[in-house]
Amino acid sequence: MTKGDIDPPPFFKSWTAMYWLVIGVLAGLVGLFYLITIAYQ
Amino acid sequence: MSTLDWGVLIGTIAFIVLYGVWKTRKTQHMSGYLRADNTERWWMMGLSVMATQASAITFLSTPGQAFDDGMRFIQFYFGLPLAMVVLSVTAIPLYYRLKVYTAYEYLESRFDLKTRSLAAMLFLLQRGLSTGITIYAPAIILSAILGWNLTATILFIGVVVTFYTVVGGTKAVSQTQRLQMAVMLGGMLVAAIVVVRLLPNGIGFSEAMEVAGQAGKLNLVDLSFNPSDRYNLWSGLIGGFFLSLSYFGTDQSQVGRYLGGETIAQSRLGLLMNGLVKVPMQFLILLVGVLVFVFYQFYAPPLYFNQQQAANVLASDKAPEWQHLETENQRVFQQKKTASLALVQAHQAGDEEAEEEAAALMNQAEEKRKELRANAQKLVKNYNQGTDLKDTDYVFLTFVTQQLPNGLVGLLLAVVLCAAMGSTASAFNSLASTTVVDVYKRSLYPKASDDHYVQASRWFTVGWGAVSILFALFASQLENLIQAVNILGSLFYGTILGVFIAAFYFRRLTGSAVFWAAIITQFIIFLLYFTTQIAYLWYNLIGVALVVGIGFMLVPLLPKRG
Repeated sequence: MTKGDIDPPPFFKSWTAMYWLVIGVLAGLVGLFYLITIAYQ
Repeated sequence: MSTLDWGVLIGTIAFIVLYGVWKTRKTQHMSGYLRADNTERWWMMGLSVMATQASAITFLSTPGQAFDDGMRFIQFYFGLPLAMVVLSVTAIPLYYRLKVYTAYEYLESRFDLKTRSLAAMLFLLQRGLSTGITIYAPAIILSAILGWNLTATILFIGVVVTFYTVVGGTKAVSQTQRLQMAVMLGGMLVAAIVVVRLLPNGIGFSEAMEVAGQAGKLNLVDLSFNPSDRYNLWSGLIGGFFLSLSYFGTDQSQVGRYLGGETIAQSRLGLLMNGLVKVPMQFLILLVGVLVFVFYQFYAPPLYFNQQQAANVLASDKAPEWQHLETENQRVFQQKKTASLALVQAHQAGDEEAEEEAAALMNQAEEKRKELRANAQKLVKNYNQGTDLKDTDYVFLTFVTQQLPNGLVGLLLAVVLCAAMGSTASAFNSLASTTVVDVYKRSLYPKASDDHYVQASRWFTVGWGAVSILFALFASQLENLIQAVNILGSLFYGTILGVFIAAFYFRRLTGSAVFWAAIITQFIIFLLYFTTQIAYLWYNLIGVALVVGIGFMLVPLLPKRG
């Protein structure tokens, strides 16, 4: 492993938190898009 | 095109190319040429990854798709962020630990040479053929709408990209792509703002969304599960996830982008940036298409957006029939415009009943317009044998050239050319690196000097550039072949991903078992394609399941080595 592998990501304590951010943003966007779809159906 | 447009277009392209060449002119050794000396920062890799995926067709077809079919194509990208997370956890640390130049090198250390060579060959075959289309597809549209010479357009894109990719390798690709992405994102944002400003007085973004919604264009999420339906939430999440895993994890045109990172952390951040930005970016591009649809509710659209094909019909004995369709198109447009204006007024007045009534009339008129377009297509087919009849690819550029002010036309054309160049450069670079690392160096000249391999990489870049340009030049006579190549490409991904998934996660699987499982899987996928109606996104999942499943069945039957 290189040093980079244990570097934490910026603004977050761990990579897991960073991954949850990406998944959370996706979930938020899908939810928002679903609301738009329903609102204009 | 005005002088200002030419100035913006030439200035933008020339600046990007010269900047890329100047910044990377001293690239001399193999690590620098093929892996950018591992100096790339996360945002550069993120932009590079995005520019590689965003071909010119993304900016030409996607708005047209939204114009015709609404925004449901966005679901295709829902699996991408999940794939970025999985690749960050698994593939990136593995590739870095082994210090590989290409993804296929890893397969030899995990399995054997023949499995590595099979994956590399499948990549070279698929990417080598499809790169010609990456050049041809925008060139044919640009030449049809702007009257540019097709051969000159193909040569321009191909030669310029070959030039800077040969000079600076991966570094030049990355340096130019970040500027290209800035032009692409900026250009589309400006386009979205300008379309709204071009709408009639009293119709703003909110009213435009109401019209689009009532026309069924804001169909972003479809929860129904239908394996033959290309775009729904499930095919996007599951099929899109496996397609993205395959494309970003095993396709050297993408792997080569993030292998140049300073550290694992930087490469991870680059991929995660793609995961965060890609869906909103596609949303923006689709939104532009929907806004163009709304624009053409109030301003007369052409009967058929591919004006060159329309001109061929007008020059034939079917001209009276075509003119009749055009007259009808005008009549239907007036009905549609009246209904759309009534809809907006009812919406502003808060009269729901009147709004529903107006929406029904607007949609009836739209159905009539679609019928007229279908009839026009039939006429076009008679006089343009074998050509692509999908005029939706021409919608956005027709709008740009006919409606946008001087200067912006040049900027939007720069967006299209930047996209074409960015994705083509990654393809040339990855084809050359795979040829040198996985074939030339591994099997033909294993003990040459570093300088020799850099020179070989330059020559292979020239060679692949020439092959792609030639393919693009002859593509116009081979329309059916283009379709075949596109389909072929999407059918290989599942098998290649299956090989990598077997390598990453299934320690019991041996090289020979996976090699034969991959070959059997590829035949089964071709068979499924020709005998069933399964949407292509699912072939990635099927490919993975088959390679792993057949691999496990073959393990006890085959010797462990050989």
